[in-house]
Amino acid sequence: MSWRDVVVLASRGVARRPGRAALTVLAVALAAALFSALLTISRTAQVRVLDQLADGGPLAGIEVAPAAPDPTQVDQDDAQPGEPRDLDDAALADIAALPDVRAVIPLVSTRVVVAVPDPVELDDGTTVTTQPRYDRDRGPRGVLFETMVGADVRRADDLPISVLAGRLPAPGSATEVAVTTTWLARFGLERTDAARMLGVELEVGAPRSFGDSIRNRWTRMEIVGVVAQQATSGALLAPLEAVRPARAWSLAGAPDQRLDIPSSPYSGAFVVARGLDRVAATRNGIQDIGYSTSAPENLIASVQRYLRVVEIVLAGIGLIALAIATLGITNALLAAVRERRREIGVLKAIGARDRDVLRLFLVEAGVLGLLGGLIGTLGGLGLASLVGVVVNGYLRSQGLVGVRPELPLAIAVAGVAGAGLLAVLAGAIPARRAARLPAREAVEA
Amino acid sequence: MGGVEGGVAISVRGLTHRYPAPEGTLAVLEGVDLDVPAGGYVTVTGPSGAGKSTLLSVLGGLEVLQEGTASVGDVDLAGLAGDQLAAYRRTTVGFVFQHFGLLEALTAAENVELAAVLAGVAPGARRRRAAELLDAVGLADRARHQPLQLSGGERQRVAIARALANRPRLLLADEPTGNLDEASADAVISLLEQLRQEHGCTLLVVTHNRALAARAPVRIQLDAGHRAA
Repeated sequence: MSWRDVVVLASRGVARRPGRAALTVLAVALAAALFSALLTISRTAQVRVLDQLADGGPLAGIEVAPAAPDPTQVDQDDAQPGEPRDLDDAALADIAALPDVRAVIPLVSTRVVVAVPDPVELDDGTTVTTQPRYDRDRGPRGVLFETMVGADVRRADDLPISVLAGRLPAPGSATEVAVTTTWLARFGLERTDAARMLGVELEVGAPRSFGDSIRNRWTRMEIVGVVAQQATSGALLAPLEAVRPARAWSLAGAPDQRLDIPSSPYSGAFVVARGLDRVAATRNGIQDIGYSTSAPENLIASVQRYLRVVEIVLAGIGLIALAIATLGITNALLAAVRERRREIGVLKAIGARDRDVLRLFLVEAGVLGLLGGLIGTLGGLGLASLVGVVVNGYLRSQGLVGVRPELPLAIAVAGVAGAGLLAVLAGAIPARRAARLPAREAVEA
Repeated sequence: MGGVEGGVAISVRGLTHRYPAPEGTLAVLEGVDLDVPAGGYVTVTGPSGAGKSTLLSVLGGLEVLQEGTASVGDVDLAGLAGDQLAAYRRTTVGFVFQHFGLLEALTAAENVELAAVLAGVAPGARRRRAAELLDAVGLADRARHQPLQLSGGERQRVAIARALANRPRLLLADEPTGNLDEASADAVISLLEQLRQEHGCTLLVVTHNRALAARAPVRIQLDAGHRAA
């Protein structure tokens, strides 16, 4: 008997008792749904937590400061830099040449003067003003002295930047800027207010000292996004192409301590190693080149271990549910074998071998398991998405980046195949019992 | 005995068969001898518990031969077990049961095909064979019906068609009319007799019905496991 014939016969056998089959499939489906939902939620939470730890950047990200390493801080996640040291193209080339480095993203920052309307009219019709405390410390109302960070926004995925509202400035744009939560704080706004700041126009001035006086070269920029970024300190984030000319303009003037323009060509760099396990070696390499680094590698590794334990526990719960469901398959098939003794006898009387009957019942179990696994896995993904909607509602109300529940294909396949496999195992005893029934059952009264 | 071409001769000597029982073992057949010529037509009668169905089971390979000798054509049943008996049942024997033995989930045509499926016949060939046999038993128009949609007589005709699917040389019928009314019973026996002639096989029928038993040229009576005189 071919496998195709066995599958057809087994499917007919399953369909013959639709009520019982439906209940059995439902039990497996519920267990598979629980299994996949728990794993999806666990995996999503893991991604979210690690993403939070890595500030939206890659897990294997390393911040390089324009400073020499402090020997007492080596191997610490958040090392304090030593003496300032210029970070130039040659240093970046040396870092890029390290064996475990996947990417080096330079960051440029410059001091700018930002003129804002007083008060600022927001898109929602409300107005905000700079906080008095800030005004008193830093200057007149409506004028802010800020650091503008320039980065290659095309490679934003490799940077520790999370978009809270809006979007990143378009690559190459000289008129679009994103602001950070530091900027929001200037106006007494929370992260949850991020979207309100979109569309506000700013006058951004690059200052140049002419000895006695300082003159600004002004550019009108629109706030297109609000981000949380840990690449380097600064309230404004703009494309590299917008920051470099501003910095060059400022540096072309007379030296002036009031402007506080850093001498280092790059205010920092973000280095991505080829994996979390390569971070330590890469950091050592960069420190050998002569620069201070920081990376949350130890924290991430610890959290990963805890999350893995949580994942194992949740998977265990799902597997227990699946095991219970497969006992239902055993029970259903044992009942089927009892009911179908004569039918099994007839099958043998017309030539079926023991192994034909064994295969028939194993495939019946497998069909029930696969059906339940498929329905349950899809249902679990749906359930996880529903949980995701609720969680996202909460996260966004807290001004945090939302989650996107995803069931990795491997887990989905494992869920369906695992349910099928467990079902086949569950069917082993009934199938063996059926295969051992004597052919004379066909003529028993 | 009026044998037809294509059937197998049956030779049984000293056939004894026992079943486990609370008091030890129970001999259902004891020293039964039997000779049926190739293509012969034999009916077996006897009271309940006489060993009729056991004789049929041993000859049909449903039971392992315990004691004595039995050969069906060139097949010696002594020593056959497991897959060998299954192969014997597939290739040599066709069964017709009192309870029809049709699978409810399958259509009439699929039930007939099932025997060929187990014999590994290609799908096209077995579909053609099933259609041909259903036509032979007068049920061509009921091929897509499921057993529960057929009358008792029709179900038994489907079962007969299935029994012939693999061109057996020995057709064994265990009370084939036991669940049928008189008219249907007569029609089924007539069909078996006709198909025996057309398909060329030895026919052995176990029955309680004396009138039907009388239609066979050779009649065997069993009583308490022994062949009655």
